Amino acid sequence: MIDTSSAAGQIDLGGSLLTGSGKPFDRRKRLFVMNRLFRYVCIACAAFVCLILFLILLLMFRTGVLTFGDVSFSEFFLSAEWSPETEQYGALLFIFGTFALTLLTLMISVPLSLLIAVFLSTFIPAWLKNVLRPVMDLLVGIPSVVYGYLGLTVLIPIIRDVTGTGMGDGLLAAALVLTIMVLPTISRISDDSISAVPKKFSDASYALGATRFQTVWKVLIPSARSGIMYAVILGMARAIGETMAVVMVIGNTPQIADSLLKPTSVLTSNIVMQIANVPFDSTWNYALYLMGFLLLAISLLMIVGVRWLQRKGAQQ
Amino acid sequence: MKLKWLKAATVAALIATIGLGSVQAPAKTEAASKLSGKIVINGSSALLPLTLQAANEFKKLNPKVKISASGAGSITGPQSVRKGIADIGAVDWDATKKVPGFEAFTGQVANKVAVTPFAAVVNKNVTATNLTTKQLQDIFSGKVTNWKEVGGKDADIIVVNRAFGSGTRVNFQEKALNGTDFMTKGSNYKEVKTSGDMKTAVETTPNAIGYVDFAYITTKMTAVSINGVAPTVDNVINGKYKVWGYGYYMTKGQPTGVVKEFIQYIQSAKFQNGSLKKLKFIPLSAMK
Repeated sequence: MIDTSSAAGQIDLGGSLLTGSGKPFDRRKRLFVMNRLFRYVCIACAAFVCLILFLILLLMFRTGVLTFGDVSFSEFFLSAEWSPETEQYGALLFIFGTFALTLLTLMISVPLSLLIAVFLSTFIPAWLKNVLRPVMDLLVGIPSVVYGYLGLTVLIPIIRDVTGTGMGDGLLAAALVLTIMVLPTISRISDDSISAVPKKFSDASYALGATRFQTVWKVLIPSARSGIMYAVILGMARAIGETMAVVMVIGNTPQIADSLLKPTSVLTSNIVMQIANVPFDSTWNYALYLMGFLLLAISLLMIVGVRWLQRKGAQQ
Repeated sequence: MKLKWLKAATVAALIATIGLGSVQAPAKTEAASKLSGKIVINGSSALLPLTLQAANEFKKLNPKVKISASGAGSITGPQSVRKGIADIGAVDWDATKKVPGFEAFTGQVANKVAVTPFAAVVNKNVTATNLTTKQLQDIFSGKVTNWKEVGGKDADIIVVNRAFGSGTRVNFQEKALNGTDFMTKGSNYKEVKTSGDMKTAVETTPNAIGYVDFAYITTKMTAVSINGVAPTVDNVINGKYKVWGYGYYMTKGQPTGVVKEFIQYIQSAKFQNGSLKKLKFIPLSAMK
């Protein structure tokens, strides 16, 4: 530490922006205070964000749990009869609908995005890559209500003509719309993780005489496995929480979908359809809050899973 | 060199625009009224065309008043007023009284503003355009599922219903279906949120049936005659067509200030016999 307590006329080595005509002791204290203050401001911002998350969880939980005053635990989670006008609050059909829709979306989008990711990382010339990557990013940026509206006006008549049913609404229409929304996310992140596989792996594979397909299928994709899982879970999180695009094409009828073309309902679409219309302090309102809390809990679980996978991938 | 010129030109253009804008203002405010304030209107989507038209005209007469209107379903009207979010709650029934499915809202005052006629509508490809009350009841409760059972082609009926909370639904159920319950499940049944969504659904889905108020009926759909009576404004006035209800503006207590002026404007003879009629609503004075 430079000795600054000697005569006032001494030049300060490595001078700071706070050079003033005051005593060196004041400047040092000022710097000390600034550093500490900055640290506390950063901590406060981080704490503020954590507080907001905590408060949201608390509010949803507190209001949602009030449901169990009137509705039994087993009725809410195991009954498929959602008819609030007759005091029946069975949310099983929404939970089933959410999971069925997400599963269907992933079944269609994961193979497609994997193929796109392989193309983007392995087969593509560099100039085309610089064109396609921004295109993918643009697709991610389109608002979901636009996708929903396009689904309503373009996709549903097509489904109606192709399958010959009366209404085109249902799980199939919603899954197709969600696939297009989720595809860019999964393929970009998978592409990044496949590109991050060390070149020596593919070099070694070619040196051993493997074909391109064998290299991709047996070396690159297994090496990028945790990155691809990360991409899939991210896509799944988006699909589960998607509201506007789904509510326009799914039909909003509270019944379990036993066919791909039957109008049904999921957690998100039901909440948006009914939350504004219900009396503020009724069991119906609490049940909707509980469904919202369920969605929150599922999303949080997935984010925790993603972090865990990331750590595992970094360790490999 | 070029950049400096461009910057100077931009600044000059900005100053010119602001200058011109402020010069014009004094000439306009001479004739304007001194009424100022803010009105927030929530509630019925059936009354929304009326509210928007009245808001436009009122703002022209009183430029200092700000009005924002939205429609998410009648029940949101009195609820927003109760929570203090809105000044006026537009609703298709008298919210101070109890109706099936909804409690009465105490502490609010119902101001009648219009007579809203409702009609059952079908897609353009449906040929059965005259239905009896019994047929309507059977269709909307799910007992009748094919158009050929009511005199149309051999095709499944697609029933489009409004979500719970809709004033149009309350009125249609009471006046056209005489209280019969709607179906809640089925492969050919869907629910929509607002009158606008209902209009889109019936227009774009072949073999669909739904219901809206007259203001939303377009040439892309057919309004159904009930028991032989055509859904026209004259038939409502002379009493033959019974599917109509009063539109109310709920306020917290008696309306005061800007809100009172606005409601009085809508209830004034000039508005009732002019723009209100053009939107296919019916003036309060026409119904005895």
